[in-house]
Amino acid sequence: MIFRRFSTKLTGLILLVSLSISTVMAEDLVVETLDEAGAKWQQTLKVAKGKSVYFYAWGGSKAVNEYLRWAKREIAKQYGVRLIHVKVTDPGEAVARLKAENGRTSAIDLTWVNGENFAYLKQHDHLLGNLWSSIPNVENLAIDTLPITVDFGESMDGYEVPWGIGQFNLIAEEAVFSNAQFSANDLLTIARNNPETVTYPRPPEFHGSTFLKQLLVNLTQGDGRLYIAATEVAQNDLLPKLWAYLDALHPYLWQQGKAFPTSSSEQLLLYQQKSLSMAVSFNPNQWIKEKTTKQIPDSSVRRSFSDGAITNSHNLAIPKFSPNPEAAKVVINFMLSELAQKRKFAGEWGDPSVLKSLLDSRSSLPAHPEPHSSWQLIIEDAWQQRYGG
Amino acid sequence: MATTLRRLSRVLGWWLIICIASLPVWGILFGLWPDEDTSIADLSRLLAYQGLGLSLWQSMLSALFSSLLSLYLAFLIYSQYQSHSKVGGRWLEKYLSPLLSLPHLAIALGLVFLFSESGVFFVNGDIGLPRKGLSTFIMAIIIKEVPFFLLILIAVGRQLPLHGWLLQGRALGYDTSTSWWLLVFPNILKHMRLALLAASAYTLSVVDMNLLVGPNIPELFAVSVYRWQGSFSEGDQALGFWANLLLLVLLGVSIIFLYCHEKLVIKVLQHWAVLGRRIRLGFVDTLGRVWLPASGLLILLMVLVFTLWSLGFNWHSDTFSLRNLNTQLWQDEWLFVALPLQNALLIGVSAAILGILFTLLALELQRQKGRYLPDYIWLLGILLPQLSMVLGWQVSHIWLEGGYHSGWVVFAHLPFTFGYAYLVLKGPFQSIDANYELIAASFGYSPWQRWWKIRFRLLLPAILSAFAIAFAVSIAQYIPTLMIGAGRVTTITTEAVAIGTGSQQDVAALYILLQSLLPLAAFIMAALLSSRIAGPKHSTLGISRC
Repeated sequence: MIFRRFSTKLTGLILLVSLSISTVMAEDLVVETLDEAGAKWQQTLKVAKGKSVYFYAWGGSKAVNEYLRWAKREIAKQYGVRLIHVKVTDPGEAVARLKAENGRTSAIDLTWVNGENFAYLKQHDHLLGNLWSSIPNVENLAIDTLPITVDFGESMDGYEVPWGIGQFNLIAEEAVFSNAQFSANDLLTIARNNPETVTYPRPPEFHGSTFLKQLLVNLTQGDGRLYIAATEVAQNDLLPKLWAYLDALHPYLWQQGKAFPTSSSEQLLLYQQKSLSMAVSFNPNQWIKEKTTKQIPDSSVRRSFSDGAITNSHNLAIPKFSPNPEAAKVVINFMLSELAQKRKFAGEWGDPSVLKSLLDSRSSLPAHPEPHSSWQLIIEDAWQQRYGG
Repeated sequence: MATTLRRLSRVLGWWLIICIASLPVWGILFGLWPDEDTSIADLSRLLAYQGLGLSLWQSMLSALFSSLLSLYLAFLIYSQYQSHSKVGGRWLEKYLSPLLSLPHLAIALGLVFLFSESGVFFVNGDIGLPRKGLSTFIMAIIIKEVPFFLLILIAVGRQLPLHGWLLQGRALGYDTSTSWWLLVFPNILKHMRLALLAASAYTLSVVDMNLLVGPNIPELFAVSVYRWQGSFSEGDQALGFWANLLLLVLLGVSIIFLYCHEKLVIKVLQHWAVLGRRIRLGFVDTLGRVWLPASGLLILLMVLVFTLWSLGFNWHSDTFSLRNLNTQLWQDEWLFVALPLQNALLIGVSAAILGILFTLLALELQRQKGRYLPDYIWLLGILLPQLSMVLGWQVSHIWLEGGYHSGWVVFAHLPFTFGYAYLVLKGPFQSIDANYELIAASFGYSPWQRWWKIRFRLLLPAILSAFAIAFAVSIAQYIPTLMIGAGRVTTITTEAVAIGTGSQQDVAALYILLQSLLPLAAFIMAALLSSRIAGPKHSTLGISRC
């Protein structure tokens, strides 16, 4: 007994000693690489100090503008970097400029981008790479839980860094949309019972296109072929269901489907003016923010498709020829800090965090993966052909 | 020596003018240069685009119909105010200021908010305006263009012997209205050609207003062009290239149409004059009488609505009461709008003054040459599709590596302010009675003195109008300011347009109001000053002072 106890103690001791030795060794290694990375980052911070970052970002949302005004103050205070929000109406304006600059020193240091714009910029070599390995806070991204390494089928590969999460949802009148989730058929019934109050932004506006993708997913019970490149056979099998559905739905839509809102913003305005019973959004918390600021009626609720909300990320990227890439990295690093991400979610904007430490099931919806990007163009073209003229 | 110097300065002047006038062509060439992978196959893809035919037809229809109707309405109003009201044009000009100041988009926004379905004054589906449709679009354009045409008519009318023509008409036994249409209109129509071209080109290519109130099944053509050009998904850039060429064709067709319209109308009116026909307008006459008061009231309502929005009022909220109105937003934003307002003011004044100087130079050089070049050459900045043109300037600007500052933005506004200044000033400049200068020459005035003391003084009221319009045009520029200023130069319009793409009514309204302030000030100032400087008929001309 005694021996055994002793021997256990001994083994324990040996184990402990060897463990601590190995931890010390491992820590040494980590400390070394951390030191190296830390020194590099210190260098980045030093170079960044006193520089300006021209950030091309959509300027249509008061909440986002306010958030960036706050970030500007914080970044100036903490890092001595000047963040300037260049308000654009469309991310395409930044892409057009980068295309025009064609390799010359850029007027853009940082841009807010995703989807086809990112794909274009990456493929044409307009972006700075290795962002993931050179920005410390990237480490805290929730890449295991969130779909934030691939952007609409295009792998990010360090050319952009996720900033926030988009989840397709409806902001709707509770009396009309009584259940938290709905199927395509539920929606048809709702539209029939409440004619002229349901609609969606005119595709190829991306909320409108996503609405169609959600319908297609629901009508085909999430057919596996939607998540790989669209083949001719798959199209012929799956798309007719969507068209048959839309043929039935359109007569009950706002303006009988003879006009559509041009954007989600316009649809939200129509919802505010009580012309519609629903609006569309990519921010799962917009409904609650709009309610607290009295922009929409108190009876507004959030609704989503029963398959889960199509989920994607919106991201930050640095042009390859930005004159101040270090300062832009400092801004990105700040945007990925707990402070900034918490404020983004809890403040006026309500955009979900991308950090592991801040994941919160209440702030987000059950997610559904994006269908393969080839489907989007096919759906948009066919929609235009059938309903757009 | 003196002649060599004069010849040299003339050559230099021509070069300068040619440079300014060719900037738009330069821009289009560079901006529209196709990518390598653009092919004819893309053209057939464009032609196969669903709804293209209807889209083109509606675009042409709205552009030509709205600008012609605006012209006829404006002339009707002008003739009535000139003949019935004692104060006439002077009062009219002051009255126009607020009507001219609200941006196009604001008019469209106000219109649908007040009169479309679920709008404040919506009665029923037969009377209200559709939230999105050709009629709403055309209506918004006409509300905005009528005051513009009126301002040009006033400027042109000052230099024409209207009084004499009307007296002749009366002597021939015509009633006033017939005299106006048979004698004055054919003469004035020629001078309105440029304004007509500008208005229809604007309607053909305007995007923001179109997105808000235009039909979208199918969309009007300008929207499709804008979408393709702004999209970087596969094939869209190529579609954008061909669509821009097609837009140029549409512009060409509308120019030809307007020239033909002018010829035809003049011919018909002359024929009627020979036949001694009387023109009875009936109820249309009343329309001319109520149009201005009605649109004045409408603009007043819109401003009221925007003000209430900016104070936090929400029409559709169940819980809102007037007691909740507050100036919080104004206080919050004031800090951020001071600089954009100041930038806009500075750029606007510089671009407008330069635009007028170059216009006077261009007109004077042509007068000395004794031949005026075709109008559309001078108006290319207004006529050509803006996005492609500015894209070309952007590429050249980047290539020059000249940095980003207000100077470049002024330069990028210049083709537009020049175009509008030319459009306002050409008529008055050509119609100045050459006898005044002849008399001055007989008194021993040098050419330069004659120009400055006679021609310039006579033109001054028109120059003031031109300044106000050019200034307002510069204030309204979004694309050139953003694309050349690269975000370094923010103006009240770059801010307003960006915020306008969102759904926040209160901020959007606040920026619309702020955006209208500067043009309002310019129009009021121009109207006040030009009523002090009396027109030629009653003027003391300044000769006596020398």
